[in-house]
Amino acid sequence: MGGEVKFQLGQNPYIKLVLHALKHRVSSVNGILIGRLDDASSTVDIVDAVPLSHSQIGLLPTLEIALIQVEELFSADGLSVVGYFHANERYDDAELGKIAKKIGDHISRYFPQPAVLLLDNKKFEALCKGIHREPVVQLYTKDASKGWRQAGIDASVQLTLKEPSANTVLSDFIATEKYEEIVDFDDYLDDISKDWLNPRLFK
Amino acid sequence: MVGVAEEAELNRLENQVDNGGGGAWEYLTLVRKLKLRRSEKVLKHGLAILDDPKSRSKLGTEEWTLYEQVAIAAMDCQSLDVAKDCIKTLSKRFPGSNRVGRLEAMLLEAKGSWSDAEKAYTRLLEDSPLDQVIHKRRVAMAKAQGNISGAVECLNKYLEIFMADHDAWRELGEIYVSLQMCDTMYKQAAFCYEELILCQPTVPLYHLAYAEASEIILSSLGDCQYFIIFALYKLQVLYTLGGLENLITAKKYYASTIDLTGGKNTRALFGICLCSHAISQLAKGRSKEEKEGLELQSLAAQALVKDHKQKAPTKLPLVSSMLKNMKLLS
Repeated sequence: MGGEVKFQLGQNPYIKLVLHALKHRVSSVNGILIGRLDDASSTVDIVDAVPLSHSQIGLLPTLEIALIQVEELFSADGLSVVGYFHANERYDDAELGKIAKKIGDHISRYFPQPAVLLLDNKKFEALCKGIHREPVVQLYTKDASKGWRQAGIDASVQLTLKEPSANTVLSDFIATEKYEEIVDFDDYLDDISKDWLNPRLFK
Repeated sequence: MVGVAEEAELNRLENQVDNGGGGAWEYLTLVRKLKLRRSEKVLKHGLAILDDPKSRSKLGTEEWTLYEQVAIAAMDCQSLDVAKDCIKTLSKRFPGSNRVGRLEAMLLEAKGSWSDAEKAYTRLLEDSPLDQVIHKRRVAMAKAQGNISGAVECLNKYLEIFMADHDAWRELGEIYVSLQMCDTMYKQAAFCYEELILCQPTVPLYHLAYAEASEIILSSLGDCQYFIIFALYKLQVLYTLGGLENLITAKKYYASTIDLTGGKNTRALFGICLCSHAISQLAKGRSKEEKEGLELQSLAAQALVKDHKQKAPTKLPLVSSMLKNMKLLS
C-alpha cells in the first residue's frame, strides 16, 4: 500500500458524533468509527459510528466491551473499527489529549492506520453561526515514529466529507434538537433497553 | 446522585413544563434540590416566571431564590445580561450580602475576567472562610483556564478541610484519571475512592482490603448508592491498571457490587466477565486463580443473557456470542 491513506467521512457517522458531543456539552465524549479500507484507492470509507462514553472516559472496561461487540456486529458486513472520535471537555482545548492518544493506540491494534478525529470547537461554532464549509473535526493519523500527527495543509485532501451537504443536514439536526435522542454505550450500560446503534435517528 | 424515582419525577415534570402544562416552580425546585445542571431549561422556565409579575408575586420570599437560580443558569448559558439583571435586583434587595457578592464574582468568572474573579473570591473568603461554594469556584476557575495542576492543588487543600465532600473526592479522582492512563495517577485515584468509601456517613462501613473480603451489613440498597457508584469506579480503575493482582482485586469488588445490587447492575456483570477472561489469559497454568469464582462468572454471564432476552432482545445474539468467545457460556 503506497502513499498516504485518505479518509472519507460519511454523513451519518459525522452527524452522530457531533450530536453526541452536543448532547453532553459539559464533558468529554468519545466514539468509535466503523468502516472499510478500499485498497485500490487507499481510502478508508467511514460509514458508521458508535457513540461511546460521556463520563469516566479514561477507563478501559466500557471501551473493551464496546469494541468486542462492535467488531462482532459489523464484521458480518465486512466492516471493522477504523478509528476513534474524541471531543474535549473545554472549548479552548484544541489538543489531542493523552487519553485520546492512548485509545487511538489501543485501536491501532485492531486497525493499523486508524483515523483519530478531534472535534474542532472553533469550526463547530462557525458552523452554528451559519458558515458551512469544512468538516468540524481535525484529523490525526499515526506517523512513522508511532506518534499522532495532526493533518496539516493537506487536511482537506486527507479527510473529506462524503456528502457535500453533510454540514447543512447537521445544522438541521441541531436546530431540531435531535441530539437529545443520541444513545451511547454508557447509556446502554445504565439501561440495556437503550440501543447504541441509534436505529431511529435517521428515520 | 439521583435515584431512579427522582429521575422519573424530574423527567415527568420537565416534559409537563416543556409542553405548556405548568409546574415550572416544582420543576425548578426539584432541579435545585437535586443540584442538577439543566441550565437551558432553568433559564427558560425561570425567566418566564420572573418576567410575569403575577407568577412572581405568588412566590413570596422564594422569589429571591429563583433570581439566584436563574442568574447561575444564565451564566452557564452565557446570557450575561440576564445574569447581570438578576444580580442587580438581588443586590438592591440584599445590599452588602456575601451571597450576592458570590454571584457577582461568578459573573466575573463567566466573563473570563479571571484575576478580578480571583480577587473577589479571596475577599469573600476572608469573611466566610468555610464557604464551600467559593472554595469550589476557585477549583472550577483553575480548571476552566486549563490549569489542571492548580485545580488539583486547590482541591487537595479543600479536601483537607472538607473531608466528607464526596463530590469533591470524585472530582479529584476524575481529574487524576483524565491526566494520564495507566500510571501512578491511577493509583492515587484508587486511593481517593477508598477515602470516599470510608467517608460515607450513613453507609455501614464495608471493608474490602486488597487481600481479603469481609461481610457486608446492608440495610437498604438506597443507602449504598454512593458506595456502589464509587466501588464501580474503583474497580474500573484497577481493571485499567491491569496486572493479575489488580484484576483479582477488581473481580472481588465487582462481586461485592453484584451482591449489593442484587445482580442487577449491568456494568458489574460485564465487569466480572471481563475480569475473569483477562485473569484466565494472564493466569494460564496457574489453576488456583483460574478456578476461583468459576460459578460467579458463569452466573454473571447467564444473568446478562437473561436480562438481554427480556429487555434488549436485538442485542442478545451479540452478547451471547461475546460471552461464548470468553468461554463463560456454553
